[in-house]
Amino acid sequence: MTKTKQLDRKVSTKRKGKSLDKAKGRNGWLFIAPFLIGFVLIYLPMIVESLQFSFGKIHYESTGYQLEMVGWANYRYALFEHTTFVQTLWGSIGELLFNVPAIVIFSLFVAVLLNQKMRGRAIFRAIFFIPVIVSTGIIEYIETQDQLADAMGQIATGGNGTSAAGGGAQEDSNAFISVMDVARYFQGMAIGRELVEYVVGIANSVYDIVNKSGVQIMIFLAGLQSVSPAIYESCQMDGATTWEIFWKITFPMISPMILVNAVYTVIDSFTSKENEMMNLINSVYSGEADGQVQSTAMAWMYFLVIILILLLVAAIMGGYVFYQKRDT
Amino acid sequence: MDSTTMSKRELRALRQQQKKEEAIQRIKARDKLPFWMLIRYKYCTLYFLKKLGLAIFRLVLLIGLSYVILFPYLSKIFSSFMSREDFVDVTVIIIAKYPTLDTYKAIIENNSYFTALLNSSMLALMCATFQMLACTFVGYGFAKFKFRFRKLLFTLVIFTMIVPHETLQLSLFMKFRYFDIWGIGGGISSLFGGSWRGFNLLNTNWPLAIMSLTCLGLKNGLFIYIMRQYFNNVPDELEEAAYVDGASVFKTFMKIILPMSTTMLVTIFMFAFAWQWSDMFYTNLFYTTNSDVLLPDIIKIPTVLDTEYAAKNAFESAIRNTSGLLILAPLIVLYLFTQRTMIEGVERSGITG
Repeated sequence: MTKTKQLDRKVSTKRKGKSLDKAKGRNGWLFIAPFLIGFVLIYLPMIVESLQFSFGKIHYESTGYQLEMVGWANYRYALFEHTTFVQTLWGSIGELLFNVPAIVIFSLFVAVLLNQKMRGRAIFRAIFFIPVIVSTGIIEYIETQDQLADAMGQIATGGNGTSAAGGGAQEDSNAFISVMDVARYFQGMAIGRELVEYVVGIANSVYDIVNKSGVQIMIFLAGLQSVSPAIYESCQMDGATTWEIFWKITFPMISPMILVNAVYTVIDSFTSKENEMMNLINSVYSGEADGQVQSTAMAWMYFLVIILILLLVAAIMGGYVFYQKRDT
Repeated sequence: MDSTTMSKRELRALRQQQKKEEAIQRIKARDKLPFWMLIRYKYCTLYFLKKLGLAIFRLVLLIGLSYVILFPYLSKIFSSFMSREDFVDVTVIIIAKYPTLDTYKAIIENNSYFTALLNSSMLALMCATFQMLACTFVGYGFAKFKFRFRKLLFTLVIFTMIVPHETLQLSLFMKFRYFDIWGIGGGISSLFGGSWRGFNLLNTNWPLAIMSLTCLGLKNGLFIYIMRQYFNNVPDELEEAAYVDGASVFKTFMKIILPMSTTMLVTIFMFAFAWQWSDMFYTNLFYTTNSDVLLPDIIKIPTVLDTEYAAKNAFESAIRNTSGLLILAPLIVLYLFTQRTMIEGVERSGITG
């Protein structure tokens, strides 16, 4: 009796070793092979190389290049000698603190609106996704070129820049919000100057925020769709109001998406074409004598700052995120 | 007896109550009701008014925000038809007084728009196809198979998403200028006394093809993430049924999973295509000579147009914007055809946590 049991166990453990799961697991490696190959053969050497470059100086030769190690010189240059690096770094961090909450709140709001059943929903959705398709830098590039041309023109004519009928779309679209009015309206309520400035700032940059929150709206919408309608139904049965349902059900259920979106927004605004830091790095890359290595050092410092901010965001928000228990 | 003790007023209230209940029941049953009754009991209620008010508020808000999104394009479209006289005329704000197609003609002919269009669409098509296939494969691998280091490897995917491409600008350039894997080729050649450092892949489509095939292209980490979430929600039973019937893992993937997820494939393809279409970072980096005209190259002032005129800046800006419009136009057309599938795909991805 005991012998057979032992035998059984032996057989079962033996089976486990060759189980379907494990055989399938090996196929998993095949499926992720493209990424793995790319990462090991191209990406990893590139990261290492880039770090090396940031500590070196490049001499081009006819057959290739020589790298001379110069230690921390490039970093020292960026931090202590370059005129605007530190300033721009602080500036872009400040802008980030301003943008992330605004974009996340706005995109959540729009996603909730677009998720409701109403007439013309398909059209509105199509319109709100246009920025996702279009936002790849061409428009920003044209705008920066326009500004450049404007600035040149102003220098040439001695101020008095002409506002174009077609060019300054951003200014035009903001013109219907009078900043002064908003400010006065809020100053009447005693809610602190910083908050007023924040709200006015959002109203001013509504164009930017709308255009930057395409992917975030998309992610939120996907999240909202994945909440089971049965939960809403049972809440309505128990007599919850829409307001209560939003804060007690919808909000916790999509809180992981809020984290994802916050992280995505940080990454997106750090790497966007409008980011002053990126422009600075690009101009250093192509502008100065040792610009290529110097800009690499700058980019690495910048990247470290991003990582720090991302960790901070994840640590702060991670505590509040609610994960629905699912068996995957 | 009761009716006498009850005052006339109470009686009326009771009758009204009965009438109301009857009306509500008939409304619920979708009966045809007399017009006045419908107005009284359906539309003049607090519940309906509240709903109506909210709907109007929502509509106004959405229309306003759509306006904010669309207005820049509208104003660009209008200004693209303006001739240079219109930019001087202060009475012209949106609609041109002397409409002309010269700007379009000049850009198309002088900046070789069609060559650029062809080159860019070939490039974007190639990248998008490769990225779509590679990211679907990898996403499926991460979602459905349990193997060692899976979590760690997925963290690496996120890592590639976080590192800004500018950090790798120089190494990207060097990598494909002297293309060589782990320096092995160079090592062998130096063993024999040669000084060969690697292939020069600049100004060819190889760098982008290689990067697309290995999921290192633009925002490919995001694609892998989306695909993984989607495949996570596909029930395992589906594949198990196929395995029981004797299909191999790859056959199951090709015959069952891929046809099932066309919506997601279109979504990913569309993103990859659109982002590659107007990308400037990689094209500037990998195409150093101007022999291959790509779409971002056409943003310049055509020499046929004489811009030395009063409102030079405004006119030149309008020309640049017109070339921007010409770049985006094919993309928008493609979007109009695929947007329904795309939005459905986004909804289905069911991204959670």
